Formats: sequence, C-alpha cells, structure tokens
Amino acid sequence: MSFRCWEPVGPAVILMGALLAALPLQAQDAPLGPDLAGTTGRKIVTQMAFTLPLAGLDAERQREFFFGNRLFNTNWVAAPSSTEKFDGLGPTFNRVSCDACHLRDGRGQVPDSAGEPLQSALVRISVWDVATKTAIPHPAYGDQLNDRAISGVKAEARVRVSWAEVPGKFGDGSAYSLRKPTIQIDQPAYGPLGKDLLTSLRVAPAVIGLGLLEAVPEADILALAEKQAKDGIVSGRPNRLDGGKLGRFGWKANQPDLRTQNAGAANGDIGITTSLFPKQNCPPAQKACLAAPNGGEPEMSDAYLDKLTTYTQTLAVPRRREWETPELTRGEALFTGFGCAACHVSTLKTGDHKIPELRNQTIHPLTDLLLHDMGPGLADGRPDHEAGPSEWRTPPLWGLGMIPQANQHEHLLHDGRARGPAEAILWHGGEAETAKEAFRTAPAADRAALVAFLRSL
Amino acid sequence: MQKTTKFWVGVGAFLVASTAGETLVTDPMAVLSNPIPAALAAGGEGGETGGEGGGRPASYKLNSTDANAFAFDASAQVTGYVAHVFESYTAAHRGAKRLQAAIDRFLKSPNATTLADARNAWTSARVFYLKTEAFRFYDGPIDLKTPTGSEEGPEGHINAWPLNEAFIDGVKGNPKSGLINDRKVPVTRAAILERDQVSDEADVTTGWHAIEFLLWGQDFSATGPGNRPASDYTPGQGNNDRRRAYLKIVTDMLVDDLGALAKAWDPAGKDNYAAYFKALDQREALGRIFAGVASLSGYELMSERLAVALDSGDQEDEHSCFSDTTWQDFLFDIRGIREVYSGGAATPAGASLQALVAQRAPEVNNAVLAALAAVEADAEALPRPFDQEVLRASKDSEGRKTAEKLVKDLTTLASALADAGAAVGVLVVVPTAHKAE
Repeated sequence: MSFRCWEPVGPAVILMGALLAALPLQAQDAPLGPDLAGTTGRKIVTQMAFTLPLAGLDAERQREFFFGNRLFNTNWVAAPSSTEKFDGLGPTFNRVSCDACHLRDGRGQVPDSAGEPLQSALVRISVWDVATKTAIPHPAYGDQLNDRAISGVKAEARVRVSWAEVPGKFGDGSAYSLRKPTIQIDQPAYGPLGKDLLTSLRVAPAVIGLGLLEAVPEADILALAEKQAKDGIVSGRPNRLDGGKLGRFGWKANQPDLRTQNAGAANGDIGITTSLFPKQNCPPAQKACLAAPNGGEPEMSDAYLDKLTTYTQTLAVPRRREWETPELTRGEALFTGFGCAACHVSTLKTGDHKIPELRNQTIHPLTDLLLHDMGPGLADGRPDHEAGPSEWRTPPLWGLGMIPQANQHEHLLHDGRARGPAEAILWHGGEAETAKEAFRTAPAADRAALVAFLRSL
Repeated sequence: MQKTTKFWVGVGAFLVASTAGETLVTDPMAVLSNPIPAALAAGGEGGETGGEGGGRPASYKLNSTDANAFAFDASAQVTGYVAHVFESYTAAHRGAKRLQAAIDRFLKSPNATTLADARNAWTSARVFYLKTEAFRFYDGPIDLKTPTGSEEGPEGHINAWPLNEAFIDGVKGNPKSGLINDRKVPVTRAAILERDQVSDEADVTTGWHAIEFLLWGQDFSATGPGNRPASDYTPGQGNNDRRRAYLKIVTDMLVDDLGALAKAWDPAGKDNYAAYFKALDQREALGRIFAGVASLSGYELMSERLAVALDSGDQEDEHSCFSDTTWQDFLFDIRGIREVYSGGAATPAGASLQALVAQRAPEVNNAVLAALAAVEADAEALPRPFDQEVLRASKDSEGRKTAEKLVKDLTTLASALADAGAAVGVLVVVPTAHKAE
C-alpha cells in the first residue's frame, strides 16, 4: 500500500498561525496536578506501575482483586487436565492467559521484525456483506485470527507484520520518519481467506483505570458529543451496539461494559467459554475445533468471571511523578492550545457504580470515550457496529508515561506503530488534522514540552 | 509568584508471577528525564525508542522539606543486615548439602528407610531456605543476577510453583508423561534447564518443589502427604535410571544456587552484592530491606499463597502440596520477616531495624511487634495438613477461620512495616493500601 501524505491547505496554516499567536501560556482549565484518578491513584514508578489495586479499596474487594489477579495470570490448559477449574484452552487461541498480552496489566506491542509471531497483538477480520451493507464475520474464520491452537487442531493462520518507513518534515524543515505496518497472513488452515478480507491489527491496551471509565454516566458522554457538534471543532459520536447499548471499551468502542469485554476476550483470545459466550469459538468449517473436548460448560464459572471483572474494574492508575515544572506547565497549555483537549477532554466525573470506591470521582483520563474520524493515515478500513472504517475511540492517556517502565517499550496507537508520543501525534488526521498540524509546525522546544507533558501522565 | 517543583519518586517492588525470560524494568529516572528524542530535536532524524537498557529502580527515599528529617545514622543496620543475610544463605546452603547427602544415600540403596531420611532432610533443609525469602522483592541476587542488569537471578529455578508435575514425570492417568519418560531428551543439567518454564510458567523442571515431587509423588491421601514407592528408584528398571539421574541433577543444582547466593552476600567479598549493598546510600539500602519483608508479608504470603488458595480451594494453589508441609512455609517465612526486623543470630546487638524504629517512632515499632506476634501465632495455629484442614474445609471450620485471620494479620503487618519504613524515610509500596496515598 502506498502512503499518501496529507498536505495541509493554505488557509489552515494561516489560521494555525493566528491560533498559536493567541495561545495563552496558561491552560484555561486548572492544571491537572498529580491525581489523574481522583483519590484512587497509586504512588509507584517501577515495572509494577500498572499492577496495583486502587488506593482505598476495601478488604473484601481487595480479596476479589487478588483472586482476579490469579485468574488474569492463569495459563489455561487444554482439557481434560488435573486442574479442572483452569482447563478448556482453545481449541484455537491467541495466547493462553490474559497476562500474556496485557503483560503486567500493561500494553502489548507488535514485533519489530517480520520474522516473529505476534505475542501481545492480534488481527481482527471481517468480510463485506453486499446484501446488508455491513461488515460481517468471515464464514470460515470468524472475526479474529487465532494464530495458535491446542494439539490436534490447526491454528487458523500464520500472521506476520512488516514495517515500512514513511518520511515527513516538521514545520522547521527537520525530518522525521514514521513507520507503517503491513499485515501478512499465510498458511490459512480452513480454506481461502478471500481477497476482500478486511483486517485490523490491534495491540492489547493497558488495563488501568477502566472501572472509573465504566462509571462515567452515559448522559455525560452523550452531552460531550452534543457539545462538540455545537462547537464545530471536532465531532465525536457514540458507538451504538446491539440493543442500542453505548460502546465504551475496545479500540472502536465495541464493548458496552467490562464484564462483557472480559468474557468476549476470554472467548475470542483464549478460547474460554462463559455464560455470556457459551459457544466455543469454532466456525462451522472448523471440524477438529468443534470436535475437541471442552473444559466444562461453561469453562469459566460466573463466580470467576465476576472476580476477573472486579479485577479489571479496580486496577489503579499511577499518580504523576512530576507536574509543576515550567516545561510541563507549558506542555499542558500547548495540549489545550493545539486543540488536543477537544477530544482528549481534561475532566470527567464518575457517577454511580456497584463498586463504591469508583463513585463520584473527578478524573482526568483525557478521553471523551467517543468515536472520531482520524483520517486515512490511521484508518483500518474495517467498520465495527456504527464505527466507520477510519473512526477510533479516543484512547485515555493516563499512565502513558509509565508504559516504558511497565513494558519496556513506548509503542503507541492501536497497532503499536508509533515509537513514542511524537510519532503518535504525527499520525493523527481527519478531525485531528488541525491539532496535528499545530504540533508539526510548532517550534522544537514547544514540541518537546508537549511530549514531556504526555510522558508525565 | 515562585512555584516550587513537587515530585516524588518511590519504589514498591513486588512481583506478580514474573514470567521467565522477561527483561526487567528500565531505570524510571532515565526514562523520565529522557533527553528530547532525536526526531524532535531540530535537525534530528529517526524515531524514538522507549527507554531501553538495564538498571533499576529510581529511589526508595522519601523527600522532605525539613533538611534534618532523616538525619540519623543507619550504617549499623545496613551492615547488620548484610551479616544476617550471609548467615541465613550459608545456613540454607548447609541444609541443602545435608539434603544432597541424604539423597546420595537413598540413591545408593533405595528403600523405605533411606527414602524417609531423604524426605526428612528435605523438610528440615527447607526451613533454612524459607527464612531467606524475606530477602526477595527488591532485585537482590536472588531476583536479579547483577544489581543493574536485566538477567533474572536463580529464584525461579529454586522455588518456582505451582508445578505441573506431569511435565517432569508420570502421573496418575498418564504414567508415561514428563521429561523422565521422554527418552529423546537427555537427562543433563543443560537439557533440564533449557526446558524450565518455557511455554508455560507451570512447566517447572527444577528446584525445591521438583525435588519434593520426586521424593513424595502426587498427594492423593486424605490424611497425609504423597507416597511414592522407593522402588521408583530401583536401578535398571523402566525409566528409573533417568529418574535417578534427574533427582541427582536438580539436587546438585539447588546446592550450587544456594552456595552462589551465600557468596554474593559474603561481607568479606570485594566485588559482590554485599559490597554493592554496603556502598548504597543508607536509605536506599533500608528501602530495599523494607520492600522485601513488606512484599513477602502483604503480597506473596497473604495473597499468592493464602487468600488465592482459600478462594480457589484448588490443590494447585497449595505451596508445598506433595509433602503436606505448607504450614511450615508460612511459619518460617514469617520467622524470616521477624529476624530481618528484630535481628537474627548474626545481627550485632542494637543493629536491628527494630532498634532504629523504636528510637524514632516507638508506637510504630510497637505496632510492628504486635503484628508480628499475631501472624506468628496464627501460623502456629494453622491446622494440618493444609489441603484437608484448610483448603477443602468448610467456610466455618476452625482451619478456615485461622487462615482468614492470618490473611487479615499479614495485611496489617505489611501496613505496619510500610509505616516503619516511612519512619526511617523510605517509601514502601505494598499492593494493599486502604487509604488514599
């Protein structure tokens, strides 16, 4: 695929100049400060930065958290086995535990070299159905490629990713280089995949602060969409799922809540059935998959799914280490001034939630949880419910600066293509084109200040 | 208006099922103070990389606006700790050598008596090792090969669990499973190490629990431990010679690993961890000491080895399930914590952490001592065997109640140790924080 460079049109640049000239040195909002997650954040700066339970979690829920942690780290094994409660892997799967992709509750990545298999990423697939004009699961492979399988069953396909450098220039003439992934799928085991296959490479996101996002009232998210429509700068949309539910989680906001998200991931990524998804992930064409023994019906009990859900609801966001240096204050002002905060909104409030510690918190995840058109550069071309081929849910930015500690890399965006915050910004297009251009054309010191601010989160 | 810069750095090191072969954390400060990426520097080229490289951690030191807040001398505590750790690993090494001798005698003439002796040697040697677990969780030599490197230390080869026993030897329903019965695999140290925890963390091939399984076998008994027959080691039959060689190799490895740990902590060593540790800023050293005991109490024992097992009721979650010695795992881990805090046999008088904390914050010291007394009493009261009396017992049984009290008291102990750390100017992060930080 060739890369098309999106040159800004003249007037936009002129407008940008005016915008920057008028940029206040102080953000209009109060500075974020150290507590991005209300009173629930944790002081930690090590490899374990994403692994702690919320501060203030009561003893009973902490107990559920630790058992959930055990489940999250459990390596599921093929049935039958001597560990009845933890068998039922596959028959086809991506990895054998949650933790394998979300290592230390953190962020996955895509291998840098085309010779290596995916370890903490996967490829979603679908085909275009002309009759209904929607993307539907592939009849023989489903909606996700499982590149591993239990013994006696064939993995669906082999997936490799290669990278191409995409050069660009900052406004001051200095050069940068981005990289773009190309997915290679071979050894399909259950018939041809077809030429019109829609694919989307996805890395595992960090799993911190999700309960707080779950506790943001739906009305507040919809109000943000309305406000954006009125202001006319960006135009976030909610994703509506089956039954009209609001999509909140997942790169394209295709999951309504964490219990469904967890059960969906258990089924799609590890091959574990639950009461929510009781059927093995075996399309009709996959005979050996359908015939393989299961590890119970369901393989993970409701009690275990509940604890796993509590765990994903109560993983804490690390507190910021530094927040008041002149550079960080400046970076924060630029974040607003460039227009990043239009989608990465600075403040949300949580409402009711079954976990009391998550209620009525003032939080700064820096997301509006809405879908935005990010332009052709980031588009995967694969619709998901009401999310279009170039729409993505604004990802939260809290904890961004701790990814290097937790996971020893700083690969960002949905497919890990960006090698750090600057590259991630430079990939923004569509509704974020103006903000991206403001960054691209800013003086080097301003760009550095903005990146420093992002790394302080 | 002049604003001051506020920041803190702290380290809580506790491990969540660390994955074999995982690289360890990069130096957070190196990342936080990263120079401007080349791509952003004027005229620069190329992309950024996340902070690569070795080294750990930022700092255990709490900052204070009061210059005299932490003006105290803890050099006696630091050198006293080094002496204690050296003595403890030396004792663990000696215990493992006695186990090695007993296993040699058993292999020479495998019968019920020599097998019973080998099992007893395992149980008594383990006590000395358990007390050294208080030295984990801060990237000392047990967890990390070099203080600034990223290569893992021997902990995973010494004490990994839960263990998928079918990966080592035959099991009920699958008598031909495991490396011992796979004649394609040579029984050598290299081959055994090479296959340790590769595709699954439970595929453990070495260490205390591998030896335990080889001596006891699986535990199907309602009243006692596993009971593997001595005839499994009769030379010349079936795969017995492979089993004999396997047991010998993993026992020798354990002895070597513990010997190397003792050497790393030798106070007379010039270029070893003991020298590195003594050269640390005092509070960085204290931070490590507290991180070790607080993480063992408030995370590893409380959650990984106890609460999780109570909630799953699964023998898989029982620490020493073949020999039914799980209760002593709790008791001697706790004694190890006590020795770090109050001093062990090799700690000079007045050089314990207790002495320092008592001087600076007497109430905090009293709280630690009370918590230690409580957890020790709980552990001593745990009914045995753990699998029958606790794991499979009903919710309102004595065993369950005692174990639940131990969970609660271990959490209290970890909080008290974190408070004691704060009293001497170090941040101790344990997962359980009941209030906003």
